Amino acid sequence: MFRALQTTFGIAVVIFLLMPIFAILPLAFTSSVFLNYPIPAYSMRWMHELTTAEVWRTSIVNSLIIGGGATVLATVLGTLASLGMRKGALPMVGLLRTVFLLPMVVPAVVLGVGMQIFLVRIGLASTYLGVIVAHAVLCIPFVIVSVSAALQGIDPSIERAASSLGARPVTVFRRVTLPLALPGVVSGAIFAFATSLDEVVLTLFVAGPNQRTLARQMFSSIRENINPTVAAAALLLIVGTLCLGGLGALLRWRQGRKTAAAVA
Amino acid sequence: MKAAILRERSGALLLVSPVIIFLAVFFLWPLWTMVTAAFVDDAVSKVLPRTAASIVSWNGQGVPSEAAHKALVQDLKAASDEQALGEAVRRLNSAASGFRTLLGRTIPAVKAAPDPAQVDLLAVDPRWNDTRFWVALKEAMPPYTDRNILAAVDMKRDASGGIVAEAADASAHRLIMLRTLLVAAMVTIACAVIGLPYAMLTASVTGWKRSALLLAVVLPLWTSLLVRTAAWFILLQNEGLINRALQAIGLIDSPLPLIFNRLGVVIAMTHVLLPFMVLPIYSVILGIPRNLMSAAQSMGAGPVRAFWRVLLPLSLPGLLSGSLLVFMVAIGYYITPALLGGANDQMISSVIAFYATGTANWGLAGALGLILLVVTTVLYAIYGRFSTPQQVPGA
Amino acid sequence: MRPFIQFESVSKAFGSLTVVNALDLAIKKGEFVSLLGPSGSGKTTILMMLAGFERPTQGAIYLDGKRIDHLPPYRRQMGVVFQNYALFPHMTVAENVAFPLQMQRVPRAEITRRVERALDMVKLEQLKDRRPSQLSGGQQQRIALTRALVFEPSVILMDEPLGALDKQLREHMQLEIRELHKRLGLTIVFVTHDQSEALTMSDRIAVFNAGRIEQIDNPQVIYDTPRTRFVAEFIGETNLIEAKIASIDNRIARLSLGAGLSAHAHAADGLSAGQTASFSLRPERIRLGMAPEGSNALDMTITDCIYHGDHMRVQLTRDDFSLVARCERLAGNWTVGAPVVASFDPSDCTVLAQ
Repeated sequence: MFRALQTTFGIAVVIFLLMPIFAILPLAFTSSVFLNYPIPAYSMRWMHELTTAEVWRTSIVNSLIIGGGATVLATVLGTLASLGMRKGALPMVGLLRTVFLLPMVVPAVVLGVGMQIFLVRIGLASTYLGVIVAHAVLCIPFVIVSVSAALQGIDPSIERAASSLGARPVTVFRRVTLPLALPGVVSGAIFAFATSLDEVVLTLFVAGPNQRTLARQMFSSIRENINPTVAAAALLLIVGTLCLGGLGALLRWRQGRKTAAAVA
Repeated sequence: MKAAILRERSGALLLVSPVIIFLAVFFLWPLWTMVTAAFVDDAVSKVLPRTAASIVSWNGQGVPSEAAHKALVQDLKAASDEQALGEAVRRLNSAASGFRTLLGRTIPAVKAAPDPAQVDLLAVDPRWNDTRFWVALKEAMPPYTDRNILAAVDMKRDASGGIVAEAADASAHRLIMLRTLLVAAMVTIACAVIGLPYAMLTASVTGWKRSALLLAVVLPLWTSLLVRTAAWFILLQNEGLINRALQAIGLIDSPLPLIFNRLGVVIAMTHVLLPFMVLPIYSVILGIPRNLMSAAQSMGAGPVRAFWRVLLPLSLPGLLSGSLLVFMVAIGYYITPALLGGANDQMISSVIAFYATGTANWGLAGALGLILLVVTTVLYAIYGRFSTPQQVPGA
Repeated sequence: MRPFIQFESVSKAFGSLTVVNALDLAIKKGEFVSLLGPSGSGKTTILMMLAGFERPTQGAIYLDGKRIDHLPPYRRQMGVVFQNYALFPHMTVAENVAFPLQMQRVPRAEITRRVERALDMVKLEQLKDRRPSQLSGGQQQRIALTRALVFEPSVILMDEPLGALDKQLREHMQLEIRELHKRLGLTIVFVTHDQSEALTMSDRIAVFNAGRIEQIDNPQVIYDTPRTRFVAEFIGETNLIEAKIASIDNRIARLSLGAGLSAHAHAADGLSAGQTASFSLRPERIRLGMAPEGSNALDMTITDCIYHGDHMRVQLTRDDFSLVARCERLAGNWTVGAPVVASFDPSDCTVLAQ
């Protein structure tokens, strides 16, 4: 009796969690103009719309430009910071780390208002650079978390070993530390890209019509005139993030195997 | 020895400083800009500096002296920045309606006059005899104001400078804040009610079952928020899957209103935030030695008592940090209420966005944003104290 | 002869905690020296100072007459074998072994040749393209050793290198390292907390306690004539009994042990008659049932007998005085409660300061 209840509960929650994701995907291939079931016939018209309609196509391109820019910026800055905070040479590392993670906590609307006023003042409002910088602020915490975890996973005696075998500090970094931290850097970059891809609120505040991203376009499409292109865009995003997430998981798995071996 | 430590430290500082500078400029500074926007009120005094200097001594009775008139005319003549002038006009008009038309007539007249000293304001427009406009002008002069922060909590200053409540129907910020807290609390409770047993269930099974249960939590985390919100749109609308299914099995005759109301917002936000509840509780439960429950039962506690006396108290830290996390994220939510809520379900973020992007009222947006920022920061500080540092939201 | 490695009153403090205290230590070329001690006794810190990962707070370290304590690790030319091997997980076995040679800019063809020869020597040629994660613990250990040896360093430092291996493999590796030491004439400094490992492998053992060397000697001296209570207790098993020194003559002390018993024992330095001291006697040095001429003989009663497979432990008592003896087998009439004569030579037991 209790077990049956448990099983029912578990299945119900799993359905609650997964149903929305699976409900939206088939609608990418509906032939109807309504984002709705039942699907009268399957067609590629909305996928076609997504890739050919000017607003959607430019929004995809914008997302790639802005996501790419923010990822590069956040990954470089976040990786450097993680390296700097690693050895405990700095005082107040705990405080520093808390500050670095704050962008993840501050409500997006609050940051959006501040960012909008600020970017207008320095003349970066409604520019690609402005949007990239704003996204990078949100992406940095993810990079720092991921890279710091990877660095923490490196056994310090491995670097000592390299040093005792005649490697200078730069060589130790290039030949040992960096290759071992690389999976963490890559998965941090993946997190950063996914964050930028999904970011709407900040984009609403700082982007002009020319920097409209895919997520921003989906937002206004749902708000104003919902149609199955949204489902097509959703499919694109889900497939995209799943690929990225899968890549990240693969890297983490490989890293886990390596460090496990190094400790064994 | 000392030199080596110093060298290492400066190397570390060199690595960290780019991020420190970047976040100081593009994160802390914008936040500071928002905070100052709430308190700085120099739109008028910047454009009308001479008027500001001469009107200070006016006692607020009748009409100020001739000198103040002269100063205003000189300022208006000298004002060349159209945008700044426009902002000053907007600011004054919001304080005393009719100011826009008054200045709309006065400014061209002043600009056209060959000698500003000869311009008589009362001749240009008799409304300059009205104390109301001069009071508005005087009150707009101090460069700092608490007007916005008072307005954010539905208060204002009366004529004598005392703080009084705004008329009940004039402003609804407090109502919206209460609503924000209420919705966040509902979502937190919903997440706790579903998340606690789900996390316990996940921790109690093994093998593929555990993997499946965890995957169901992590998969939505990987999925775009927009996608999930759009998906709930599809499920909840009147012709959506849920209403169709309920109608098909004959439970209801007409569609239930599930979207553009509080229910839809709570359902969708619970879905989005549930992982933040499940994961902390799950990691805490994993840390509880498995044999504790057996030990309690060996001492005579039945399964229910063992759960109540052992497992539940030990899972509470996870429940607490999960709840704080969910509540903290929920009060700042914008997208889900904006897309799935009705007019009466808008939370504080929507109002901030409305002031900022809709009416360009930075001051009020900043003041409301400051309140939200303070509440979030306090919750984050509490969260930091109660939860283990390895649990990082979203990562 | 000038020592090859020399520590000259070296101290190391972490904050207010002094881990190594005014240490003097000299190691000859080609010597195998073990640093033995409980955890926290400073032995690993000494190794880390020698390798260059820690700097002494005070004092100087010399290698072959040159002061090295200011040199970074990569300029010291010492092969270090770490406790957890510290193999580079992202490189193959061959790449791991080639690493130190690449650091010395050895020509590529020679690297290949030397790596092959080194792997051949430890019979792991066939594993050269594997990753460390695909090797067993013993194989990883051997690769770590090979990597530390391949660039022909002047000294090999080992930090509990066998701690992670199971007993059988550990004993096998002990022999292998000993063999390498002899064959290549290596100077080895070996840190361990396992006393049997130190006894079997070393030319000399330095026993550490609380940042100081308690005794440094060859294994047999350490075992047979410990100079302090700590060494006597830490190395092997011993009966440690409080005794009063009746007289000392030519380094042989006459002791009264209690319960009316007395014995002669080898006396450590700095003891005088009338003092209370510790009497140390190894269980296996006690003979039961016979008392040769010149040996100490005590009349005791057997109070317990514990079977250990290859030997027995016998508890001997007389009033409040008791000893543990170790013997291979017991004669048939020696049962619990039987009286027996326990004897031992004065040279087999020592008197130590309290």
